[in-house]
Parts: sequence; C-alpha cells; structure tokens
Amino acid sequence: MSHPQDLSLREQAAAIASGALNPAELLDATFARIEERDGALNSVVVRFPDEAREMLAEAPRGPLYGVPVLVKDMFRLPWYAPHDGAPGVAAPPGESAVYRRLRDAGAVIAGITQCHYWGAGSTGHVSAWGPCGNPWNPAHCAGGSSGGSASAVGARLAAAAVGTDGGGSVRLPSAYCGVTGLKVTFGAIDGEGYTHGFSDMGAIGPICRDAADARLFGEVLTGQALTRGDGGPLRVGVIRDPWWTDLDPEIERACDDALDAAGWQRVELSLAAAEHQQAAALVCLTVQSLPMISAEELAEADPILRALTKFELTLTPAIVHQAARVRSLLRRAVADAFTRCDVLAWPTVPAPAPPIENPTVELPSGRAPADPGNLRQTGLGNLTGIPGISVPVGLHSSGLPMALQLQAAWGDDGRLFDAAEHLEQATGREFVDAAPEPAAAQSSRS
Amino acid sequence: MRASLHVLGYDVDETEIAVMRVADGVYGPQLRALVAADLSGVWAEPDMDPSRAPSARFPAGIE
Repeated sequence: MSHPQDLSLREQAAAIASGALNPAELLDATFARIEERDGALNSVVVRFPDEAREMLAEAPRGPLYGVPVLVKDMFRLPWYAPHDGAPGVAAPPGESAVYRRLRDAGAVIAGITQCHYWGAGSTGHVSAWGPCGNPWNPAHCAGGSSGGSASAVGARLAAAAVGTDGGGSVRLPSAYCGVTGLKVTFGAIDGEGYTHGFSDMGAIGPICRDAADARLFGEVLTGQALTRGDGGPLRVGVIRDPWWTDLDPEIERACDDALDAAGWQRVELSLAAAEHQQAAALVCLTVQSLPMISAEELAEADPILRALTKFELTLTPAIVHQAARVRSLLRRAVADAFTRCDVLAWPTVPAPAPPIENPTVELPSGRAPADPGNLRQTGLGNLTGIPGISVPVGLHSSGLPMALQLQAAWGDDGRLFDAAEHLEQATGREFVDAAPEPAAAQSSRS
Repeated sequence: MRASLHVLGYDVDETEIAVMRVADGVYGPQLRALVAADLSGVWAEPDMDPSRAPSARFPAGIE
C-alpha cells in the first residue's frame, strides 16, 4: 500500500472498517507526514497526538471510525481554545457542535489548521500563526481564511478538514489549493461553538480532495444524507456581469471549457443589484464583525488589519441600511434565477494564488489586491445563504490550480455534489486526482 | 476620516491613514455607489432567514 494519506477519505474509512488498515498506524503515519511535509506550508499549526489517541481509544464505529481529520482555528474543542488566527483566545475550550459530529462519527481530530487573522482575509498571509503556503508552490498564498485546511488537504496531510466561510473562506482557499470545498446552506451545519456563529453570513463546510469525499464529510457534519442524483442533465445559469468579467484569461477559459465538458445546458441570466453585491457583502461582514473586536484587541492587532478595521469603522448607518436592502433584492433575484436554472456557475477566484510576499493579482483591469476580486466572486453566497462548491478545473501556466464555483438553491447542497462528481467524470478526474510534488511542499518559502 | 474616528475614541497614525487611503481607493467607489443607489421603495427583508429562500412578499417595490 502507498502512504495511507494518499488514500481518499472514503478509502481510509473503508480500509479501516474492513480491517485492511489499522487506525492507530494511520494516525502515526499522519503525524509523520505532517512532520515531513508541513514545514514550508505551516498549515497544521497545533497538533494533538495525545488527544487524538484518546479520541481513537473511545471512538464509536461510525462512518469515519479512526480517520484523522483537521479543524480550523475557529472551533471550541474540549481541550482547545480557538484563536481565530489572532494572538488572544476567541472562545474558551468546550464542545462545539462540529466536535460532537466528528466524535460521534468516530473521527479523530489530529490538529488545528491555520486561519487568516480574525478570519478577515482571503489570502492567509496575515495570521498570528504566520502565513500559510500553497501546496503547489509554498511561496504563494494558500488562501483564506481557511487556508490551513485547504493547504493541508491539498498536500495530502489529511483527507478532510473543516473550514468556515463568511465571505468565501472555504471556497477561495479550496480554489487556490486545488481541492474541493463546500459552503453549506446557511445553518445546515450547527454553528454552536463556532467563533463566528454570531454572523448570518458565515457557514461551515467540508474541504476534501474530491466531491465524493466532501459529500461523505458533509454528511457527517450536517448529520443528513446529501442526496445522490444525476449531475448530468443540469441547466446552468451564467451571469456574465460581474462574475465572468475581469478574469485571468486562463481561468476564464478553463471554467468555460469545464462547462463545455460537462455538457450542461447554459442559461444566460442577469441579476438585479448584482453591481452592488461586493460592497454589500463587505458592509454586512463588517458590521457583524466589528462589535466583536474590543478596543484592546484592535490596539494589539496586526498593523494592516488594524488600519483596515479603522477604515471599516467609518462606515455610516446609511450604507448599512443600503446594504440590507441590496441583500434583500439579491435574495429575491437569486430565488427567481433558480426557477430558470439548477445551478449558477462562475470562476471561484479571478486569478491564481498570489505570492505571499506581495498578495496582489494581475487582472485585465490591472494589478490589484487579491481580496476585493475574491469577495466579488463569492460574496453572493454569503449574502443570500445559498450553498456553493469550488471544484478544481485545471492548472494555470504558473503551475497553480484553477477552479469553478457552482451554487445551488437553499437546501440543495446535495445537487452540488452531484454536479461536481459529474464534472469530475467529464474531465477524467484529471484535476481532482492531480497532486503537488512533495518536493514543492518541502521547499523553502523564498 | 481622522475626525470621525476621533469621535469614536480611536486615534490614527500616518501609517494607518496611508493604509486607509489605499482601502478607500479599492473599496470607496463601490461603497459610494451603494450609498447613491436609488433603492426607494425597496424594503430590507424583515426577520431574514438565510437558511431559506425569501418570502414571496419581500422585498417590496421591485415589481
């Protein structure tokens, strides 16, 4: 057998269940691989060898019995206080709902993954844990804010990791790292013990190598069967403006080719108030997060984050009200769109992962910070509450992954797995089975 | 910007002002367009539940 972390999540679970794989040996091999490969990535920032072995000793024979998984630095665990990527403690130790789901499924939590400072960025280069590298090139960003989860899965350190998504934070790093990440319908995964559970923008989600693994992990996290149907005969809504504009040409072509390969019927649509969705997403994220940041935390924060937070403090009540009205318009417009199509599709990110040293991207409109374009591509899902999945669709000439985002109506999360699996089959699984060279993961960040 | 933050009890240094100017250059035009958007007659959805589609009755004013 190859290294057990080269097996998929479902293969690991099946091998343990059949007796072909010893879960204690899998756990040891997982820690060894993290030790071997994570030095240049910095994706697994806290490791739990003792607690993981205790979990394994008490694990029930659930669907993930004995399988090591990773959790973002935003969840309470009985032995761990989450930090949100900041120096201070964001919440005390305790049992989050995600912890209980994993424990009851028999999974073993092997460690905590890196998180962008306060979860407030899409690059992952700012964090009290230090920046997180991309498994395809550690000098480039893993993304954020669930960058550690996506990087660890992409580097084959674990087959599954939990992420959270308040403005794209599952989908964006998944796209950067060439893995599959789902933001569930708002509330589909219980947010108790999730440090941003106060927000009506944030959702939790599975990050895995492919759609079948993400479905399995998603079913564990939601506690529901995520139905398996035919992802072939779908009507795909394509909204050119703004989501197919100002894109890296290779990404636009890869996503277009993926839709062609899938053979889905395309429906050209427009969306009321779409031109204001990026600003509305920024405002809604801001007004919900700012009250949670104390003056003391702000004074001690990363200097760039501190300045950006002060910029956000100048937003006026008038713009907050406008954002709420745009949000309502968008929710209605999206509901109407889903009477004409089954899923919406556009690129998850406008450009490949930027360098850690200079997290800007080159777009047709010019060089720009990565965050605004990323939020433009993913904010709609958070404003409306609909589920979205990022699926790998190729490698850029830079050697970094490219990804397509599919979004479905509220509660239709299972359809996204159907669509993603169909797309994987239509492209010969070329992009989900692609793995970065371990040498890349071991190289220095320079 | 400096004055409005002072009212809120925050001081800003020159480095922060420089970062805020960059942020305003990136996000400012869209934020100002949002403020200026004519949304008269559009109501924010009361008791919005992002886990489900909006009620058919909201938002008003877009028919």
